[in-house]
Amino acid sequence: MLASLSYREKTLYASLAAELVVYGSYFFLHGQNSVNQVAGMIVAIIVLQIILQSVIAVLTRNRVTDERDRLIELRGYRAGYLALASLMVIGLGMLWFHATVGHLRLDSGMVGLHFLSVFFGMLVVADITKTATQIVVYRKTL
Amino acid sequence: MPAIRNQIRELRALRELTQQELADQVGVTRQTVIAIEQDKYSPSLETAFKVAIALGVPLDQCFQYDSRGKR
Repeated sequence: MLASLSYREKTLYASLAAELVVYGSYFFLHGQNSVNQVAGMIVAIIVLQIILQSVIAVLTRNRVTDERDRLIELRGYRAGYLALASLMVIGLGMLWFHATVGHLRLDSGMVGLHFLSVFFGMLVVADITKTATQIVVYRKTL
Repeated sequence: MPAIRNQIRELRALRELTQQELADQVGVTRQTVIAIEQDKYSPSLETAFKVAIALGVPLDQCFQYDSRGKR
C-alpha cells in the first residue's frame, strides 16, 4: 500500500500520526494547565515532524508534487480555516456565557492558562482537520 | 457520468506507455495520471495539453466535454 502512495500522501500520513501522538498525549494523558507543557508540545511536534519528513524524503525516490497536490492542499487549508473559525465563535460564545452567568472570573490568575489551553486546543483541532481532510480528498474524487 | 471524459488509458496502451512514463513526460505524479484515467480528477488546461502532446494526439481526441455530465 505504501508504494501506491505519492510522496505528498506519505508526508500527510506522517503528519497526522505525529499530531495524534503528540497532541493526543497532551490532551488525554497530562494535565492541560501549564505553559511549559504547551511549549513542550510545540517543540515535540516540530522535532517529530522533522524526523518523520526526513525519513520519508530519504526513502522516497520520486518527490514530484503537481497541481492536484496543490489543489488538495488548498482544500485542506479551507477545511482547517472553517474548523478554526467555527471553534473560535463557539469558544468566544462560551466565554461570554460563563463570564455573564458568573462562573468565570476574568480577574483570576488561572484565566490566562485556561485561555491558552483552550485556544491551543482549537489550533490542534483545526490542524488535524486540515491534515485529515487532505488525506480523505486524496482517496476520493476531486 | 463526469463532464470531462478521456481516452488516456486506451491511447497510452496503444503507445505501450506506462502510467509512470506518461506522468514523467507530463510532469505530474503517477497518482494524478491514475485519477485522470479514472475520471476522478479533471486536469488543468495546461496539463491536458501536455498529456495530449505526450500521447501525440490532438486535445479533443484525448479529452471530451459532455455538458450533461456532472462536475
